[in-house]
Amino acid sequence: MSTTLSAEHGAGVDAPAERPPAGAGGVWRRNWLGGAAGWLWLVVVVVPIYWIVITSLKSRTTYYAQNPLAPPSDPTLENYRSVIESDFARYFFNSVVVTLGSVVPAVVVSFMAAYAIVRGSAGSRFLRSVNVLFLMGLAIPLQATIIPVYLIIIRLHMYDSLLAIILPSIAFAVPLSVLVLANFIRDVPKELFESMRMDGASDWRTLWSLAFPLTRPALVTVSIYNGLSIWNGFLLPLILTQSPAQRTLPLALWTFQGEYGVNVPAVLASVVLATLPIVVLYALGRRQLLSGLTVGFGR
Amino acid sequence: MANSSMSRRHFLNLAAGAGAGMALAACGSSGPGTSGSGGGEASYWFLTAAPGEQIRTNAVNRFNKDNPDSQIKHTAFENDAYKTKIRTAIGAGQAPTIIWGWGGGGLKSWVEAGAVDDLTDWFGQNAAVKDRLFPSSFGAATVNGKIYAMPCETVEPIVLFYDKRAFDKIKAEPPQSWGDIMDLVPKFNAKGIAPFSLAGQSRWTNMMWLEFLFDRIGGPEVFQAVFDGQKDAWSHPAALDALTKVQELVKANGFVKGFSSVVADANADQALLTTGKAAMMVHGTWTYGSMEQEGGDFVSGGNLGYMNFPPVDGGKGDPSDTVGNPAQYLAISSKATAEQKETAKKFFSTAVLSDEEQTEWLNTGGVPIVKGAESKIAGSKDPEFLKFIYDTASNAKVFAQSWDQALSPTAAETLLDNIAKLFQLSISPQQYVDNMNQAIGK
Amino acid sequence: MTGLAPPAVQVRTATGQAGGRGGSLWWMALPALAIFVAFGIIPLVGVLALSFTEWDGIGAIHPAGFESWRAVLADPGLPHALWVTFLVMALSWAFQTPASLLIGVFLAGRQRYREILAVLYFIPLLLSSAALAITYKALLDPNFGLGAGVGVPLLAQDWLGRDNLALGVVVFVVSWQFIPFHALIYQGGVRQIPVALYEAAQIDGAGRMRQFFSITLPQLKYTVITSSTLMVVGSLTFFDLIFVLTEGGPGDATRVLALDMYKRGFQANLMGPASAIAVILVLVGLVLALLLRRLGGRDASTSQMEGM
Repeated sequence: MSTTLSAEHGAGVDAPAERPPAGAGGVWRRNWLGGAAGWLWLVVVVVPIYWIVITSLKSRTTYYAQNPLAPPSDPTLENYRSVIESDFARYFFNSVVVTLGSVVPAVVVSFMAAYAIVRGSAGSRFLRSVNVLFLMGLAIPLQATIIPVYLIIIRLHMYDSLLAIILPSIAFAVPLSVLVLANFIRDVPKELFESMRMDGASDWRTLWSLAFPLTRPALVTVSIYNGLSIWNGFLLPLILTQSPAQRTLPLALWTFQGEYGVNVPAVLASVVLATLPIVVLYALGRRQLLSGLTVGFGR
Repeated sequence: MANSSMSRRHFLNLAAGAGAGMALAACGSSGPGTSGSGGGEASYWFLTAAPGEQIRTNAVNRFNKDNPDSQIKHTAFENDAYKTKIRTAIGAGQAPTIIWGWGGGGLKSWVEAGAVDDLTDWFGQNAAVKDRLFPSSFGAATVNGKIYAMPCETVEPIVLFYDKRAFDKIKAEPPQSWGDIMDLVPKFNAKGIAPFSLAGQSRWTNMMWLEFLFDRIGGPEVFQAVFDGQKDAWSHPAALDALTKVQELVKANGFVKGFSSVVADANADQALLTTGKAAMMVHGTWTYGSMEQEGGDFVSGGNLGYMNFPPVDGGKGDPSDTVGNPAQYLAISSKATAEQKETAKKFFSTAVLSDEEQTEWLNTGGVPIVKGAESKIAGSKDPEFLKFIYDTASNAKVFAQSWDQALSPTAAETLLDNIAKLFQLSISPQQYVDNMNQAIGK
Repeated sequence: MTGLAPPAVQVRTATGQAGGRGGSLWWMALPALAIFVAFGIIPLVGVLALSFTEWDGIGAIHPAGFESWRAVLADPGLPHALWVTFLVMALSWAFQTPASLLIGVFLAGRQRYREILAVLYFIPLLLSSAALAITYKALLDPNFGLGAGVGVPLLAQDWLGRDNLALGVVVFVVSWQFIPFHALIYQGGVRQIPVALYEAAQIDGAGRMRQFFSITLPQLKYTVITSSTLMVVGSLTFFDLIFVLTEGGPGDATRVLALDMYKRGFQANLMGPASAIAVILVLVGLVLALLLRRLGGRDASTSQMEGM
């Protein structure tokens, strides 16, 4: 998988494509097959989301009585209240701790490693081997190692703690992060590094004063990608934690559903509450996310 | 240089963030979650779902009030997740002090791993605790002649529940035999009512059907042979007959639509009965309490009927036989501290099945395994149902333990897998027999 | 990849000039290496080791030679799990790729509502797989879900209770979650295609369809490979969604490899065989990754701008 990144195309998403306007010349007339697909998919996307939201506002009896697609006749917040009362804040806090506690170290160490690999591979067999190791790591599915990870965590006396989720999460975020960051750093013109070196800057300084600001879009991409997947992580919390006090949101959702599955509105309210923070972040940071992603995986 | 101070600040921010994250995580890990850490506070895990969860919680609260120096912290998990969770916890050395369970094969696997304490001596010294309970309840608590768990809670046979309103609709009587059942199926389907509710995804619910059919057709010896590890025990003709009959019922649409994805944990199968979508349900008597609490006026309005599973024409089994849970069982983790074990034992002798707890069980449709409970039935809220349970359980010639609890967890898993496929009609009765014969003795 | 980033190729080969720099930089890779080895490589070795043992999860671990492997390889459950995994992989690729392609092309145009669409499209990706599975489980309930409520029999099928339907649902939900992501990748890819190509084709008299097949598709070749790699390798790791949605059921209709491993280990308490399955999972992943690299990686540096 070759993901070459190019800084100059970073703004690709929202910049208008170089196409003649719709009417002129007829080169790009309306693409109605794609359009049909697009609109159809929109319906497919929106209907379940709409259903989730309106159902969460219905009481259980109303839900059974009414047409599922009709908006609630008397909307109620009781479902949200019962979800929050079942310790929702605690699970939210745990998810935040795990996500921040994993993403920040993962991105930092991956950045350092990526820099070392790009700048030093030629002269160091060690760094070349590390690069190959990380590349191979991309192919390892996390699930496969869960049993030994369980054993290791137990031996380290970290079972049933948030740290138990954090450490393996960091480890598994490393390969892809290093790959994306390394590809990006490679695009930084050599001359900039040379001029820093001639100024007598140490590697550490070059890393943070030069590479860091220039790599920012990719760092954002990697942080968001890892953040999202760790926030939504399920397997690690499932196996490595047991008490409700250490539960993260996805696990809490599942437990809640297991207990109250028949109460569909309540279950959906928990889904909404668990997703709301991310949706808000998305609404605020959409541009960053989208431009970052196309930069990272584009072409 | 402005650039480098900016980046240094960035780096420090990052480091602070990471550090804070890790610190918080570490705090979290030493929090109240870890059992076996804080002094004498014992921990106790049990199942969720009404009414049991509330009654167990009340027992713990009463104990904690009376014993301010030895507290018990409880946590509830839902059924299927609990079975996995408890093993991961034991494997991690973080099992709760008091482990709730069904005895039998599961308890045996804990004993073999050295995870639970031998309570024989303790029962010897505290004979009063032992003697007040049903003697039959100790069977599933005994492994290799020693007692490893304290029986508690209620005796729970599996029975056939039905909705009287549904029978009124088709103007029929509850089934008295297997033949009647097959006759009723098309009649209910014609009226848009599912004949039987079933939580197929949970699998052990499907198993209850086989437990009865095996017994009614061939007697208890059929499964006993499997349990004893006899070679090719599943090839008994009664077994094949039972398996075939169950598939006939499935093919005739005897079970509610979508039964393979209904899960028992959230009482979804009970909801189908109480909301009138299904006419009958084969389930444990523990569901009476939750149907009463969550089913609106289904129970209070007198719509719930109950009976023992009907006999099969030409079957050898005694129609009074029943299957189910002779009791529930509390074991003590061997890894707990001495203090915690003391707390647990005190809980056993003073709080488990106290008079208040007994009343609570009686009021939610359960018969506690305490001698003399039958005299309290008359004064309870649902005397008819309780008498029914008591009679069913005590008159049964054979009260077999649920298969998935009697067998070892590994064998149980294979059993449940094959049962699921059988009900899914993906394997034939013969294939089931072949698969299960291979798993004997594991 | 398209040849629009020539500098990338140069930098790669010219780094050699830096010579002795490698010596002083190696320590920077240490933290990442350390944690990856500790929680990635060591468990990988551990899985291999455990596959030669017998362990029930709570007792002691006994070495058992090839017992666990023999049990796993003889079990018909394994080929079945492999088959189900392959089906899920192939079907989700077949469904997602054309859909993402079409939608990506659509999004690359200049529709007025593109912005709003982009926002809405992305929401599925923000949901956790657990949340998604829970939602669809409720939505597809044949007795209490959307289909039953609206009264359309076609929608009120036993979605999660019939083997084929359950598999289809899994593929659909996966697609529902990830099509936005891949559409975005394709959108980016389409944007890179120089207009000049289309203009030239227009002059030569090529129609819309012809342009699509002769220009758009070939130019998107590397995008297709990137997207497909992500899809295929990603599908090996599906666990959360299927676990919550069907738990491998009904029966074992959706029991993919990862789920089979979990159930064998944590429900049937056969950690040895479960580890063997884990090793198989890793091997399959490696083979797939290598295969895809072969397919796409080699020509990375060839320019697609020949003749311009």
